[in-house]
Amino acid sequence: MSNELKIKSNGMDINLLKKLIKLVEQSEITDFEVAEGDLKVKISKNLNQVHIQSAGDYSRQAVLTQAPVFNEVNSKIAAAPAETLSKLHEVKSPIVGTFYRAPAPDADPYIQVGDVVTAGSVLCIVEAMKLMNEIECDVSGKIVKILVENATPVEYNQPLFLIETV
Amino acid sequence: MFKIEEFDIKLDTDYIGRNFIYSDEVESTNAMLLASKDSNQNGTVLLAEYQSKGRGRKDREWISSSGQNLTFSILLKGEFKEQKIHLINLSAAIAVAQAIENLFQLNVELKWPNDVLINKKKIAGILLESISKGNKISRIVVGIGINVNQPNFPGQFEIPPTSVRKEFHSIVSREKLLSEVLNNFEEMLEISKRSGKKVLADWRNRCKMIGEKIKIVDGDKTKVGIFDDIDENGFLILRVGEKLEKIHYGDVSLR
Repeated sequence: MSNELKIKSNGMDINLLKKLIKLVEQSEITDFEVAEGDLKVKISKNLNQVHIQSAGDYSRQAVLTQAPVFNEVNSKIAAAPAETLSKLHEVKSPIVGTFYRAPAPDADPYIQVGDVVTAGSVLCIVEAMKLMNEIECDVSGKIVKILVENATPVEYNQPLFLIETV
Repeated sequence: MFKIEEFDIKLDTDYIGRNFIYSDEVESTNAMLLASKDSNQNGTVLLAEYQSKGRGRKDREWISSSGQNLTFSILLKGEFKEQKIHLINLSAAIAVAQAIENLFQLNVELKWPNDVLINKKKIAGILLESISKGNKISRIVVGIGINVNQPNFPGQFEIPPTSVRKEFHSIVSREKLLSEVLNNFEEMLEISKRSGKKVLADWRNRCKMIGEKIKIVDGDKTKVGIFDDIDENGFLILRVGEKLEKIHYGDVSLR
């Protein structure tokens, strides 16, 4: 999230300004402008904006709400030391969808942390629009970490598993 | 009994259904075709008179009485990108709708993402299954179930089922219907390679829920909003207040 602040005056009250910024931050407002005499303050809060380009003559700009889970997962990965990651193989999602660790709601998960897998072992299902995609492991090794919670949304190319290759 | 000659004479495709497997009973046409690894060519169709473990989304069953309906899967091989798969998904629903319209002049509607309805009743369902490895999807099966000549549907259903026979008031040829679906499907696939927009437009034209207030249920989660549109992937855009949210799964119903 990037914030933009434009001040067109010298006679500003820092405390008032701080209050205004806080007010905008905590609210749903994305753009805020106030003018009093010489003082003019504009605060704009750029949320993550995504353009949806649709077919035909239909096109518009829209704000898409992002799945919070994805952000959490991302920050966890970013926090991991780079040297540890480089020894591990990442299995990523080929599609946007919902991540399932088991073939059915009441079935056992395909794999657990610590399991040894071979190329071709089924690791999970990612579902989108009545497409159930089974993800097969592309290496042999040991499951070190499962990066996503069951039944939560995943993004395209999001890492799902860390595998220590043998 | 399914008359393969009658089906074959009407089939007008280059590759879809050119390798045709007919079976009395399998567990699931999708599972069997997906597991057949490299032995089957692109476009292979497996038709089963009875599925002992016919399935839908989230472990739901697809129950179809033997010999009266169409339950089949189509195998597609290649290298599929995300958007292409979803266009295949929508193309399958359009192909079924077109076939029923063309042969029986019935009024067909689509429900997101790929249910086929007549008078708000479900006449066909579609489930795609695929396998990916190393971020690449190389095999897809398109599983289609159409209620054709089944006279009645005892039991309780979330969406009431119907059949072509019930709506058309006559027993119809399953062979002709299957060939018509496959002809349309191959044509839609070719169109989707040239222009995804045409597929999306065809889908939109048959969906009567766009602009309506809808409810999306998945497990214990429910979302309510206005069905704004579908995006270039076919994902549902739900308007909740001023916000637009992208939906990629769940059961949609009118509120």
